[in-house]
Amino acid sequence: MRFLFALSLLSLLALPAQAQDRPPLDPGVRPVTNTFAITNARVIPEPGRVLERATVVVRNGLIEAVGENVAAPFDADVIEGDSLTVYAGFIDGLGHAGIAEQESDDNERPRDPGNPPREAAGLTPDRDARTLLNPEDGSVEALRKLGFTVAHAVPHDGMLAGQGTIILLAGEAPEAMVLRGASSLFAQFDGASGAYPATPMGIMAVLRQQVRDAERMQTGEALYADNPAGLDRPTYDPTLSALAPTLRGKQPVFFAVDGVLEGHRALTIADELGLNLVLGGVRESSMLTDKLQASGVPVFVSLDLPERPEADSTAADSLGGDTLPTNRRTRSYADIEDEVIALNARRSEAIDLYERNALTLHEADVPFGFATLDAKTGDIRANLRRIVEAGLSEDDALAALTTTPAALLGLDRSLGTVEAGKMANLVVTDGSYFDEETSIRFVFVDGQRFEVDADEGFDAEAEVVVTGTWDYRVISDQQPMTGTMTITDDGGSLSGTINAQGVGTLTLDDLELSGNRLSFSVTSDAFGTIAFSGLVTADTYDAEMTGANIPPLTLSATRRPE
Amino acid sequence: MRYLFLLFLFAPAALAQPTGDLLIRGATVLTVTNGTLDNADVLVRDGKIAEIGEGLDAPRGVRTVDGSGRYLMPGIVDAHSHIGISSVNEATNPITAEVWTGDVLNPLDIRLYRALAGGVTSSHAMHGSANVIGGQNETLKHRWGLTDPEAWRFEGAPRTIKFALGENPTRVHGRGRGIRPASRMGVEMIVRDAFTEARRYRERQNEYEAARDEGRRMTPPPYDLRLETLADILDGEILVHTHSYRSDEILMLMEILEDFGVDRVTFQHVNEGFKIAPELAAFGAGASIFSDWYAYKFEVYYSTAYNAAILTRNGVRTSINSDSAELIRHLYHEAAKAQKYGGLSDDEALALITINPAWQLGIDDRVGSIEVGKDADLVLFDEHPLSVYAIPQLTVVDGIVRFDRAQDADDMRVFVDPEQIVDEATLNEHHRGHSHDESCLQDVATQDAWWLQ
Repeated sequence: MRFLFALSLLSLLALPAQAQDRPPLDPGVRPVTNTFAITNARVIPEPGRVLERATVVVRNGLIEAVGENVAAPFDADVIEGDSLTVYAGFIDGLGHAGIAEQESDDNERPRDPGNPPREAAGLTPDRDARTLLNPEDGSVEALRKLGFTVAHAVPHDGMLAGQGTIILLAGEAPEAMVLRGASSLFAQFDGASGAYPATPMGIMAVLRQQVRDAERMQTGEALYADNPAGLDRPTYDPTLSALAPTLRGKQPVFFAVDGVLEGHRALTIADELGLNLVLGGVRESSMLTDKLQASGVPVFVSLDLPERPEADSTAADSLGGDTLPTNRRTRSYADIEDEVIALNARRSEAIDLYERNALTLHEADVPFGFATLDAKTGDIRANLRRIVEAGLSEDDALAALTTTPAALLGLDRSLGTVEAGKMANLVVTDGSYFDEETSIRFVFVDGQRFEVDADEGFDAEAEVVVTGTWDYRVISDQQPMTGTMTITDDGGSLSGTINAQGVGTLTLDDLELSGNRLSFSVTSDAFGTIAFSGLVTADTYDAEMTGANIPPLTLSATRRPE
Repeated sequence: MRYLFLLFLFAPAALAQPTGDLLIRGATVLTVTNGTLDNADVLVRDGKIAEIGEGLDAPRGVRTVDGSGRYLMPGIVDAHSHIGISSVNEATNPITAEVWTGDVLNPLDIRLYRALAGGVTSSHAMHGSANVIGGQNETLKHRWGLTDPEAWRFEGAPRTIKFALGENPTRVHGRGRGIRPASRMGVEMIVRDAFTEARRYRERQNEYEAARDEGRRMTPPPYDLRLETLADILDGEILVHTHSYRSDEILMLMEILEDFGVDRVTFQHVNEGFKIAPELAAFGAGASIFSDWYAYKFEVYYSTAYNAAILTRNGVRTSINSDSAELIRHLYHEAAKAQKYGGLSDDEALALITINPAWQLGIDDRVGSIEVGKDADLVLFDEHPLSVYAIPQLTVVDGIVRFDRAQDADDMRVFVDPEQIVDEATLNEHHRGHSHDESCLQDVATQDAWWLQ
């Protein structure tokens, strides 16, 4: 028996790394072990607490033990964590994880735009996110690779889009993803297309009408249940029935609002109708702070931030902060350059407000988490860094990714911290998550290990030789480009040139070798600056090329034998 | 100045709106209702006009403004505008009485500040004119700097609703969608049917309540916010403001209102009002007009700049409105035109933009004239406001200075869109002229484009 086990362990080790990414889909083959131990790692059991050298043991989906004197069990797949950091898995407070946008195949104008079918009106509170889940949807893996393990997923379209569900960001089948169903009613100021209600004021009116109708239906049903004699028979209405848990206070309303105005509207209508409100996808709410404090309504801050144009910083710098040229009493068309500078400086201040939004909420003691709603997955980590750079501490940012959303979603007994007994949702990194250089190495969802290969093949410890003459080839949709590049080592400092057709010989600038990664840039009048970055193996080099004037290209080079 | 706004931003949301104290000394005071007072002082305490007289002393700590050589008039009231709201037309149905612009106030709209710079202290943020019975409107006080929409409501102002007759609703619904109303006759039937249905609705509710009070078991009748609103009109709880141009359709609506016992109505635009001024006066209807804006479509060809004078002289409570974010900045010029065409007196001309629109909105007990006890909503001009040289210097709402020309920086926005691209090209475009996206039919195109293509 022991022998058999060792054999299977060996075969596992022999598997290429990629095959470990996903559990095999063939139901006949199970993972060799459901037990993992991350040893001697820096563990952040909860925001603000650090175990410098601790071991985390995961067994059958749960965290079995966490501590500095915990030994790895004999049957554990051991991850040596000496250079690793372990966080609790992140929680997305509101988004569309695992739910593809419904394609509208119906471009017909509603026959009666003033009284459209309820689906066209956006009145589908009975639509259950659980029925829309797809574990193969790209968002599941994309979010997981960022460290998210659990998400509150809601349907896409309509003012009352449907019921949200809390899901694990892993699972072979939709059912396997569901942690809790019908967890919320999702509302948004999403007007119907060419039909009633098309505007936010129409949506406000329809919300009032729906709630009154649902209340009346409940009254009618109760009367009828008591004694049907002489009463109108209550009719089934899927929209109103779906609103019942909300009206009984059993289900919160997650209202997506982008900013202050929609925020006020959602707070007003929820107060008026007695709804249990949570605001989600909030991008900027500084003018709403007092109302949020007074109402106790929690917020899920959007991980979508406005882009900061390059020109901004120079404009603000040249004005020196607060000394904006105001009250100039000159005709705008005569000094339009000054006006552009002044307006851009205010735009830059506005962007600051968005970056500081989480900090503002934190300082006002408004409970908040983060929402991926409307955020581009590729921007999320960079945006979290911008939020931290704007002043939110890493601990507070971590709380907004773990403990706070766990508590706000009512899941803090099983999620949010790294402690024995909790669900084994973990993020394993090689440094602080909020450091740009840090890579995420593993994500555990429900005890299942996923290896993140963001920088596959990179080895910081590798020692490679790059000097010599390389023949390169750049494949493009036009004519392939070939040539040579030469790198020499002048006593510890690298330098080099590249020969490009029609351009001549160019110097390799910013030439840098880090581990097995070689990067440099080349500038010419013909195509501006192009940056090259890629990994070196024995005699090959493959680099990504990026530049303002070129499409993304790949350079493949082979070293000539000495 | 920027820091002042920051203070406003973080001021706690109070139930009562902030008020101020002020003494304006030695101005020529145009009271509108009690003639002109030369070299008079106006003392404001807690946002109300406390005293008007000569030689008044400022209580300790009260700011004094030198009004000598200047003209003080009541804050201008605009009975028809569409600024300060995020949506204007719920243009998807001929009747949308249940929607309300008060649900979508936007106190961050820079056009509100510009209106203040034109001396306008209150405006009537109206639903558009796409529907025969559009939405309910909101009367605003221009408390620029307060960012909570609740702080912008003219507290205590009566509810009002927008109706629309003629080409706009027949174009949007009749020609645009092939449904009723396609003609002025259709418009009439929409209103009559709506009122009839609302009356039945209210009767059903009353029956149910009576039955319930007698202890009889009965399922509650359907609740319908649209009919509920219409029934409130019949109960006299909502003032009707109707977009209208032609005399025939105006007479038609007065007949309907008489049939259903609705007695408070203000006709908006009412370009042919001069033809039926005695009838309007006999009904007790208000008229809210443009000074000299017409001929922009067929139904407004038969118009005259003498409309204000003719209506006024026939005893119709008349106002001049803007219906535009640009006109709202110089309504005092618009009033002056009524003096040029028709020779109204100063007080008659100023009443067109103060006490008369205030009456039409049901707020004339609060604003519209300079009288002790009224709200201290005031504008100080350098010249007589009916002069073409007049420029507002100071605009006061509830005793608080909300516009001060001396403190008027280039960029007074309280909200800046971080995604709005700023470059010379867009600025040049902006400076070339204001856009005309602020009309009565705002939002309709986006709702229509979907199937009109």
